[in-house]
Amino acid sequence: MTKSNKALHGAIALAGISALALTACTGPSGGGGGSTASGNAGSTIAYGTTDKVTALDPAGSYDNGSFMVMNQIYSFLMNSKPGGAEPAPDLAESGSFTAPTEFTVKMKSDLKWANGHVLDSKDVKFSFDRQTKIADPNGPASLLGNIKSIATPDANTVVFTLSKANDQTFAQILQSPAAPIVDDEVFPADKLLSDEEIVKAKAFYGQYVIDSYNKNTLISLTAWPDYKGVLGKPANAGATIKYYTDQTNMKLEVKGGQIDVANRSLSATDIDDLKKDSNVTVNVGPGGEMRYIVFNFDTMPFGAKTPEADPKKALAVRQAAANLVDRQAISDQVYKGTYLPMWSNVPSGFLGANESFKEAYGDGSGKPSLDKAKKVMSDAGISGPVNIKLQYNPDHYGKSSGDEYAMVKDQLEKSGLFTVDLQSTEWVTYNAASKKDSYPVFQLGWFPDFSDADNYLTPMFPKGGFFNNHYSNTDVEALIAKQLVTADKSEREKTIKDIQDQLAKDISTLPLLQGAQVAVSGKSVKGVDSTLDASFKFRLGQVSK
Amino acid sequence: MATMIDAPPPTVAPPKSKSAGGGLGRYILIRFLLIFPTIFILVTLVFFLMRITGDPITAAQGGRLPQEQIDALIHQAGYDRNLFIQYIEYLGNIATGNFGRTISDGRPVIEMLTTFGAATLELSINALLVALLVGIPLGMFAAHKRDKVPDAFLRLFAILCYATPVFFAGLLLKLVFSVGLGWFPVAGRASTTTELAMGRLGAPTGIYWLDALRSNDLAAFGDIVHHAVLPAVALGLLTAGVFLRLVRTNVIGTLGKDYVEAGRSRGVSEFRLVTKHAYKPALIPIITVMGLQIALMLGGAVLTETTFEWKGLGYQLAQYLTARDFVAVQGIVMLLAVIVAVTNFVVDIAAALIDPRVRY
Repeated sequence: MTKSNKALHGAIALAGISALALTACTGPSGGGGGSTASGNAGSTIAYGTTDKVTALDPAGSYDNGSFMVMNQIYSFLMNSKPGGAEPAPDLAESGSFTAPTEFTVKMKSDLKWANGHVLDSKDVKFSFDRQTKIADPNGPASLLGNIKSIATPDANTVVFTLSKANDQTFAQILQSPAAPIVDDEVFPADKLLSDEEIVKAKAFYGQYVIDSYNKNTLISLTAWPDYKGVLGKPANAGATIKYYTDQTNMKLEVKGGQIDVANRSLSATDIDDLKKDSNVTVNVGPGGEMRYIVFNFDTMPFGAKTPEADPKKALAVRQAAANLVDRQAISDQVYKGTYLPMWSNVPSGFLGANESFKEAYGDGSGKPSLDKAKKVMSDAGISGPVNIKLQYNPDHYGKSSGDEYAMVKDQLEKSGLFTVDLQSTEWVTYNAASKKDSYPVFQLGWFPDFSDADNYLTPMFPKGGFFNNHYSNTDVEALIAKQLVTADKSEREKTIKDIQDQLAKDISTLPLLQGAQVAVSGKSVKGVDSTLDASFKFRLGQVSK
Repeated sequence: MATMIDAPPPTVAPPKSKSAGGGLGRYILIRFLLIFPTIFILVTLVFFLMRITGDPITAAQGGRLPQEQIDALIHQAGYDRNLFIQYIEYLGNIATGNFGRTISDGRPVIEMLTTFGAATLELSINALLVALLVGIPLGMFAAHKRDKVPDAFLRLFAILCYATPVFFAGLLLKLVFSVGLGWFPVAGRASTTTELAMGRLGAPTGIYWLDALRSNDLAAFGDIVHHAVLPAVALGLLTAGVFLRLVRTNVIGTLGKDYVEAGRSRGVSEFRLVTKHAYKPALIPIITVMGLQIALMLGGAVLTETTFEWKGLGYQLAQYLTARDFVAVQGIVMLLAVIVAVTNFVVDIAAALIDPRVRY
């Protein structure tokens, strides 16, 4: 026993000493994703993110992390060129309405998957049909509600028959998370395929193929030379995607050059800090994410189901709040410019976006107006401070939500017109409770399914929509329905503006902030800014060093 | 009192060997059987607690889909069924070895457990190594310098080690040695190059340093050790503090024993007394404590792994909890429960073999 103990202790000591000796002898190796060269298309880009992949199967995921990878390895019938969100043919040669309920796509010919299988209209029909059939709880099948049937008259033609005629968002749907085209010889028709099987089967048609896959740890991509879509040849030879849990680790690694790009999501303070670092560039692009204060028309002060129900007073409360919030101060002080002031329900950059709230409330230039707030309250016969129960959520909408809503509370209370009871709740409970009238006034956010103004209107404001706040205006509903099917661009633009003006009068919600896309890159890295566009798709193929 | 009167006279005591063997066998059997209710209770608690706190569909799709669609998806997935029926179904699946697939990312649970379990095992081995290398020699040194300045300093150090929250120790180490001095990497189990090399291995164990050694890749081994130092120290110091105190106390105790005094009177040096004669008996309690430390270490691994981007079970548990992934959380907790219960079982047996007084 003595001898074996000795041996054991000896072995432990030796192992420890060896480990420490090796540690002392070795420095960090292979940062930057093992890049082979710099400043040319032969380089490899190392991309970092805190997003996560749910599934590489398009039917099994509907989140930013999964969609980012899909955008590198799959194609769509339509996709947008870097710099915008306007649908352009990708696998398609052309796509347009051939009848009010018929959208016809002509595909490019002689397309082949990376595994050598033929890519034709059969794959397209298969991809959409299986989305609808599987309808996975984590998937985006809900986006395909307007597709009635799909026909494939020949190998290069796909005809979508739609339930609603002239759907102006349909081309956008074809480049949405519901629309990556998959290999019908690899994917099963009625169930999901695991990530490992997809990688093994090389079922890719995109700018890249995956050559090494360690889920939510590290993905290695190699440029695929046979891709013929709208995105063209990548500006690099390949890329690695590294997944982080802690945004601070990601920040430190982009600072240290271990990764070339850090995207989604760094905190506002980290970004502010990185702006001062000469070794990195902070790239900012338009963001589609919106943050609102939602008023529940039944339970808010003077709401329809409160003992003191009075629609005029309820409107005055909303108007007073609209006159008092200082969006710029929240943007500057809490979010350091990573969220920008939002003056309407359609974010800037989209067709028809205006600034209805800026003109209607505050001092007319975006600053708050105490006088106007006091006037609307006194005109409505409200004396004394109104108590508002205001709810927010920090784990889904970010830790900074606490600071954001502390500021909103302060802005409202400073006026003397409100007392605010501020509360926060964990997301799962919060989401369910906000839909069940538990919160009179509450925070809500929205990230678009596809890049079109309609996606900020149709899901929200018709009765029973996403907000579920009992707002109802038949004029607004009619205008929303009209813009959806108006083919004339300028007429559609005017209708969207009219909707926003009416929404600003009713104040179903108080739009507060619009998120910006922020990606931090090393000084020698090029092309990041060109992919931070309104499509919200990060394309690794744009980046080089 | 009547029992005492009726008791057999001491002269008719059962044969010694039979008594000792039967007692140990019974003890082992009881300790073994206790593993099952321990795991069962834990698994049951997790099953119901997870379902009380929400469902994975609301966690993933809430805020994106209207409530009616979310309700329909919840119904489709069967999460709105009677909880008791779901529970019976779950137990039935476990009994048949069907652990299912994770809800949030569709992985087979067994595969997920082996992949991330290997990473956690690696971290735990590294941390245990640190704990032993730091705790035992320093404990012996403190005992040797009893009530002197080094002893006081080391006692304080030990208290700091086990009183400091592991995430704080991790952050501190990272700030000083990674950000400040730049000696060690900020996070991760290996550099990108090594990670890719490990991914290409044919039949990896998942324990990176072992895989690197098996493939004779010394550069990768060095890189892996380089990445492992800070997480191992952060987690290992937690246990090192306990070992240090324990070794010190026990060595002081054995230093006063007759056989040590006899050695001292024969002129054996104090250093030799401590390192050769006194420390061996003092190590026995460490075996018992080690079993308890496994649970503490696994708890600490959750925080260490998150701090250092160490993609192990603790890191995954945090992710799956956020996603309300019942299946994944149940799988991980069950594995952790099995590890803790089995470790304690083994430790109990070892302790019983070493010291017969602990037997029933």
